[in-house]
Amino acid sequence: MINLFRYTLFRAIRNMKGNLFPNLTAIGIIGISLLLVSIFSLIALNFSYFLKRWEEKIGLIAYLKRETPVNEVEAILNRIRELPGVESVKYMSPFDAMAFLEDRLGEQRSVLDGIQPKVLPPSVEIDLKRDYRTSPQMKELISKIKKIPQIEEVQYGQEWVETFSGLNHFMHLTQWIFGGLLFAAMIFIISNTLQLAISSRKEEIEVMKMMGASPAFIRIPFYIEGLIQGLLGAGVAVLLLYLLYEILLRRLTPLLKGWMSDVPILFFSGETIVTILAGGMVLGLFGSFIASIRFLR
Amino acid sequence: MIQMFHVSKTYPNKITALTDINLEIPSGDFVFLSGPSGSGKSTLLKILFGLEKPTSGEVIIHGIRITHPRFKKIYQLRRRIGFISQDFRLLRDRTVWENVALALEVVGCPPQEIKKKVGEILSRVGLQERGRDPILSLSAGEQQRVIIARALVNQPLLILADEPTGVLDTRMKEEVMDLLLDFHQNGTTILLATQDRDLIQKFPYQVIPLQEGRRMDEKIEEGVKEEG
Repeated sequence: MINLFRYTLFRAIRNMKGNLFPNLTAIGIIGISLLLVSIFSLIALNFSYFLKRWEEKIGLIAYLKRETPVNEVEAILNRIRELPGVESVKYMSPFDAMAFLEDRLGEQRSVLDGIQPKVLPPSVEIDLKRDYRTSPQMKELISKIKKIPQIEEVQYGQEWVETFSGLNHFMHLTQWIFGGLLFAAMIFIISNTLQLAISSRKEEIEVMKMMGASPAFIRIPFYIEGLIQGLLGAGVAVLLLYLLYEILLRRLTPLLKGWMSDVPILFFSGETIVTILAGGMVLGLFGSFIASIRFLR
Repeated sequence: MIQMFHVSKTYPNKITALTDINLEIPSGDFVFLSGPSGSGKSTLLKILFGLEKPTSGEVIIHGIRITHPRFKKIYQLRRRIGFISQDFRLLRDRTVWENVALALEVVGCPPQEIKKKVGEILSRVGLQERGRDPILSLSAGEQQRVIIARALVNQPLLILADEPTGVLDTRMKEEVMDLLLDFHQNGTTILLATQDRDLIQKFPYQVIPLQEGRRMDEKIEEGVKEEG
């Protein structure tokens, strides 16, 4: 059994060496196709992660009327704190707001020269409980906050939340549709490429049949070829993706500095990479299976 | 035992190669199939090897009805048949050794046994020094000897030989016949198709004459019966 396996593997490798061009073509096609799917999946992964991190930070800012006396602030905070869905509240005086702005502007803080903190309204930063970060519940909470007489305005990134959620949903949907279409295209291309490899060895296959080779003996090396092609193709895809990731990471990191510097750009986990490699093997195997059904009857 | 009952073969181009052939060859016999080109010798051998299907009739080899519609394991039968034919080509991109060894590889023979058997058979066909040579560097006669070696290396129970000595010189012809006789002595059934009358006359074996796809000896027997 071990001898048969070794012999079959040896034949598969010898066949691949003997038909280098069709095999390299198949590996290249699998690699490019999987690379496209992987790029899309990686973008979706990072987008989801970014959204998750962003959601964690979603809060409300309630701006107080400028004339609100400081001695009323504690009462306002307590009132907000008691509303359902509120995790914590933090008062931000005009001076705190100015300090925050200066900190964010860093070296460009000079643009604030001559501006008095008094022009900035006092505000209350409201952190929400996890279950209250959805749009309808936030709207309900806002309406309750607005009923407090000293509140001028309540802000939250409503449009952003809705747009990001919609985009995230769209990306996941597109990922599946795109992946499915590419999968079908890959099967078609791989099986055709393997058919080329099979037809280039038609004579050998005929001779083997005449010598009494069983159908399994003839087919198994082609399946192994498919598996190897799939594995190598997927390996190429992962390697190229990692190179692209590294290049983009270096280019993007300075651009994103200050905006989402605390959200790392992720790469696939070890498990996902193994899944991609296994996926490549399944693709190769499936492609060779279809090719063998059509050509090795 | 090889049995054919009322076997006829007409190709899609309407050419009839065999008409109502009946034969019975007991195991271990050596039989010549004689007749000019186009008499149906090659078609008959191809039918026995499962390369062609008869248009009608039954073929039974060693008790297996190969013409049965549900018979799918022709490959198992072929492992026991040595087929020598110009139609059964050698692989041009392989060496002599690789071509002969392939016959053993496909039946799952262990590497050590392959090495031993291929070495032995190449010696017997006089090609022991040419094992590593590519097929294309061999003459037509040498290539024929490789075909013979490939057919015999697996110790077949039945040898179907289509003009096995056709392109060989006299000395090699004798050596190949000696080799086939050797197998015959060891109990292998041999069916040898040839136009070479001199070759047939040298051996005291049964001859089945064919002409235009028909058995000529049956006609004579039937004629004798009718006269009697």
